[in-house]
Amino acid sequence: MSINTTDSVDVFLQGEKEPSGSWVFIVVGVVFSLSFLVLYSILYPGQDLPVISDLVPVFSGVFDSGIWFFILGTMIGIFAILGRLLLEATSE
Amino acid sequence: MDTVLTTMFYFWISLFLVYFLVQRGLWIFSDVAKGTVHFMLEKALGPGADLVEGRSGSGARSWILQGTFWLILASMFTFTSMWLSHDPNALHSLASWGYTANADELASAGVYAALYGSVSMLVIGSGFHIIPKLAGTELASETNANLVSFVWTISVLVVVVGTQNNTILGIEIIPLGTAINFVALLAVILNQLLTVSNRTRSLALPGWLILVGLLSNPIISGISIISGAVDDSVGQWLSYHLFGGAFFFAGVTGVALYASSVASGNPLWSKSLVAATLFGSILTINPFGDTHGQMVMEVFGPLAGNMVVEFSNQDMLVASFLMALAFIPVLAFASNMLVTMRGSDAFIDSPDYPGNAELNLGAWLIVPIALGSLFVQTDTVSGTNELVGIADSLSMMSLWLILIPLSLGAALSLYPELTGRHLFSNNRARTAFLMMTGGAISGLFITMIADFMDMALVEMMVEDPSSLSEELRKIGSVMFYGVVIGAILHSLNMVTGIFRGKIISAESVKSSSISVESYSLVSPTTVRKILASGANLDTEVIPTSENDEKGSATKL
Repeated sequence: MSINTTDSVDVFLQGEKEPSGSWVFIVVGVVFSLSFLVLYSILYPGQDLPVISDLVPVFSGVFDSGIWFFILGTMIGIFAILGRLLLEATSE
Repeated sequence: MDTVLTTMFYFWISLFLVYFLVQRGLWIFSDVAKGTVHFMLEKALGPGADLVEGRSGSGARSWILQGTFWLILASMFTFTSMWLSHDPNALHSLASWGYTANADELASAGVYAALYGSVSMLVIGSGFHIIPKLAGTELASETNANLVSFVWTISVLVVVVGTQNNTILGIEIIPLGTAINFVALLAVILNQLLTVSNRTRSLALPGWLILVGLLSNPIISGISIISGAVDDSVGQWLSYHLFGGAFFFAGVTGVALYASSVASGNPLWSKSLVAATLFGSILTINPFGDTHGQMVMEVFGPLAGNMVVEFSNQDMLVASFLMALAFIPVLAFASNMLVTMRGSDAFIDSPDYPGNAELNLGAWLIVPIALGSLFVQTDTVSGTNELVGIADSLSMMSLWLILIPLSLGAALSLYPELTGRHLFSNNRARTAFLMMTGGAISGLFITMIADFMDMALVEMMVEDPSSLSEELRKIGSVMFYGVVIGAILHSLNMVTGIFRGKIISAESVKSSSISVESYSLVSPTTVRKILASGANLDTEVIPTSENDEKGSATKL
């Protein structure tokens, strides 16, 4: 009895290109996570979600609402665009 | 006669007169007027003209990029206002900088930024490419188009500041921003009129839609002031919907219809339906948007009055009748778009091509949202006011699910021709579309469900607000954040594409299939592809063969 060893070789395959759908799932996952975080307050009434000022005490009294996560996210996005503009314009 | 019919009558007559002048010119004064306008657009700018480039397509590119940047701010303002509606003290820390965030004011800023910053800039930018193309000529002044885009942005910025604090040093800020905006719009109109006057062929109907959209803005402003419509609530409601129908609806449908052909590679399905869209946008009252004319009162400032007037029976009758008729242009537009994008079995381009998805979305959703808006507006006009609770959510839907997808989709479709490069990543464009659409649909629908709950509670005279409604609004605002992410991704994709996008080859350059008289056959291809490029049975196919013979010096 012989075993065809060629077929049983453990080969790991990975494509060179990223499938177009993968990013969609990641981003949709992030949005769903955020939504479920909001549901936290429904499931655990009386216990507020931690906000930036809870994590970084120096911002106490300033970033004490969940909206700041979103505003900071937008600011990062806007700075990414400005950074891209500056880098591309000066890269020549 | 009543307010509605009188104002509409003046508007129709004025627009017809302007159309007549555009077609026939100014008789012996035409050449003088052209020279003067050209001087004002170029030389009169003085050193200002040296600040910007005047290359072909630079004007349109500048407007479209700024329009996309405004999309980020508009979505951010809207998201913040949705959040503050359930958590009013979320941004209390900004009070130490002297800024008190308010949900209503931020919602207003979001609407101005979206309508005047984003939709208008995308439509005008696309128009700077489309009208010269359809007229078979060059834009009269690229330099002016480019420079005026920055003036327009400043005007929107002033208006947005005005929504937060309308009186600074005794000056009303929103009317000031509107005045700056009006000057910029006049420059845009003169530039386009000069371009049309140099046309080498008759302008296709989508071009007229854009032109009529632009011309209607100053005409409605003038008519509203002269007829006294801006002085009372009925007239303000009418002026608001005339702006929405003639300026925004006509402009957006014009660029979207052109782009549907460009993006799909199919010829525009029906000229009659475009004509129905054009005349419908002028002759009917568009039902999209708010149930009040607060915005008109804000932009006209001291020129507007604040009389609260009930709709008279005749006003009610005329307004309801003209709003019901608005379904003709809406259906004509939607059907024309959808059939054009699918084609007659000749749909060869990828449906994932940037812009296609947005155009499809807008064309699909315009019908149900128009139906909903019609119910809400008729409810307001008749004085019943039973559906007024969902008016804001529905108005937001018409903005974020119709106007913005259609104008952005058109801009994305034209992007390769304007920049000479493709978008940096089609995948990122698709992700951005999914984020924007998912965020807007889910966020606004959830908010609308909360509106319905509140309406039911009010009807049952329950005094305590529902905690479930509060939670729904919270989820709705978080879901809407997808729109912000989508807008950022679109902007980043466009900016990166300008520098590192794949350079378009001659073969991939698309042109509108509205008028294809000849097709140059450079390599073997299928009949399907020739038909898909806009050719029909009367199109002349010209073989352009390559010669392999050894060349020799050209004899002079």
